[in-house]
Amino acid sequence: MTPHDEARLIAAARKGDSRAYAALVDAHQQAVRGFLRRFNGVWADADDIAQEAFVTAWAKLNRFEGRSSFRSWVSGIGFRLARDARRARGRAGARDAAWLQTQEVAENEASIEDRIALERAMAELPDEQRAAVALCLGEGFSHAEAAAILKLPLGTVKSHVTRGREKLLRALETSDGH
Amino acid sequence: MDTEARLRAALRAAAAPARDPGFALAVIRAAEAGRYKKEAARSVLRAGGVAAAAAALAALGLDWAAGNPAAFQNGVLSAAGLISLVGLARLMSARARVLLKR
Repeated sequence: MTPHDEARLIAAARKGDSRAYAALVDAHQQAVRGFLRRFNGVWADADDIAQEAFVTAWAKLNRFEGRSSFRSWVSGIGFRLARDARRARGRAGARDAAWLQTQEVAENEASIEDRIALERAMAELPDEQRAAVALCLGEGFSHAEAAAILKLPLGTVKSHVTRGREKLLRALETSDGH
Repeated sequence: MDTEARLRAALRAAAAPARDPGFALAVIRAAEAGRYKKEAARSVLRAGGVAAAAAALAALGLDWAAGNPAAFQNGVLSAAGLISLVGLARLMSARARVLLKR
C-alpha cells in the first residue's frame, strides 16, 4: 500500500467509512499481531489486544497526525494495551509453550527447541527491551519507528535491541549445550 | 547453522501470523458494537436528565401552585385560552389555504 493510498483510506475512515478502515486493518494486521504475539507470548491474548488496538485507533483517528506511519501508531497503542494487560496479569501468566503446537509457519524453518528457548528468553527480557526486540528484530521496524512507538529515545531503543539480541543469542547457545 | 542464523530463523518462525481475513471484520464489528453501546448509554443519560429536569420543574410548579391557588387558576385559564386561540388560528389558516387553492 502506497503512502498516498493509506492517506486516502485514513481520510475516508475518519468520516466513518468502515470499508476503508477494514482495508487499513487488513494491510497492517500481520505486523501489529506479529509484534504483539512476540511481546505478549500468549497468542490468543495478543490477537485480542491487536483487535482492541485497531478499535481504539479508529475511535481516536482524528488525533492521528501522520507524524509516524499508521502501522507504527497502532503498534504503539497495542504496546501500551499489552503492557497494561501484562502488568495486571503478572509475568508468570505470560509463559505459554502451547503456542508452539499451533505453528502457522513451516516446521523445518527453526527447530522446536530453538523456538522454545527463544520464547523463554523473550519472556525473561524486561518489557521495553522485549518490545524493542520484537519490533526491530521480529517485525523489521526501524530503530526510529520503534522509538516513536515505545516513546523512548533512539539511543535507548538501539541499546535495548543490542542487549536483547545478546541475551537471546546466549539463550540459544545455552539450549544448544543441553 | 550458527547461533546468529538460528536466532533469525526462530524469530522469523515464532509468532508470524498468517493474514486473517476475519480479523478486519472482527475489528469493524467490535468497533460498531462499542459505538452502539456508547450511543445507548448517551441516550439513557439524556432521557434521564430530561426526566429529572421535568420532575424538578413539576415539583416547583406544584409547590408554587399550593401557595398561590388563585394565581395558579388564572395561569391555567390563560394557558387554556392561549392554546384555544393558537388552535383556532391554525384551523382558520388551514381553511383559508384550502379556499385560496380553489
